[in-house]
Amino acid sequence: MGSPCHFALFDLQPSFRLDLEQLAVRYRDLARTVHPDRFADAPDREQRLALEHSASLNEAYSTLKSAPKRARYLLALSGPELPLEVTVQDPDFLLQQMHWREELEDLQDSADLAGVATFKCRLKIAQDELHESFAVCWDDSLRRAEAERLMRRMQFLDKLSHEVRQLEERLDD
Amino acid sequence: MAYSEKVIDHYENPRNVGKMDAEDPDVGTGMVGAPACGDVMRLQIKVNEQGVIEDAKFKTYGCGSAIASSSLATEWMKGKTLDEAETIKNTHLAEELALPPVKIHCSVLAEDAIKAAVRDYKQKKGLL
Repeated sequence: MGSPCHFALFDLQPSFRLDLEQLAVRYRDLARTVHPDRFADAPDREQRLALEHSASLNEAYSTLKSAPKRARYLLALSGPELPLEVTVQDPDFLLQQMHWREELEDLQDSADLAGVATFKCRLKIAQDELHESFAVCWDDSLRRAEAERLMRRMQFLDKLSHEVRQLEERLDD
Repeated sequence: MAYSEKVIDHYENPRNVGKMDAEDPDVGTGMVGAPACGDVMRLQIKVNEQGVIEDAKFKTYGCGSAIASSSLATEWMKGKTLDEAETIKNTHLAEELALPPVKIHCSVLAEDAIKAAVRDYKQKKGLL
């Protein structure tokens, strides 16, 4: 794990529950102080440091603002690094995912914008539930397997919500 | 991403898309997912009394390479015994489809789906 920790950059303690608005404000403030433009006339060494700092700040922000990335990062902080490409066999969850994909396909075929809005609400509720479950178990070493499973589920739902947004854009055109 | 002709062929004309009754005692179902790309794959086999896979179906929500890998897997499994089907490796699928390195994990997913379907069938029959 590279140092310093993504959370420390924002003067935060590692936690899954995060005030995203506050994070965005802090990010903007910090990004201003290390913006490479401010160091245009500075010596090379300082310019390089500012550039590195700016890059790590951006990486930290993009990791922390995304729930699945934040979850994965937290698990990596408290245990071994998790492989990115794995095959999961979580039958009930995957079956439900399959049903949701089928539903989304039907909504696309019927160009049903109202249906997409309802779908989006249900997805949001499922995501909130998942986040809540993860928040209470990720730092319990006895529940690590469960936390990993929840993090993987988050990745699927994140991808699905991305597809819902794309579908909305297509239907809006 | 430039797909090979074989990937495009399977993507545009997927073989054996469909669904079998997962409750049927002669049907084995493999359900696998790749969280990083959100792919979900269901692969099913129907096995006859001689232990030969007489039909295979799949449904994949994912990229072209994942669809092509599972489509090819069902083609290859038909007519094979369970043991033969289990020798199908992701490297064979990836080679046949000329998958680029970043898409190798799609063929891994298909191999894992084959194994899961065979295992599900064997469990149903008390063979494990």
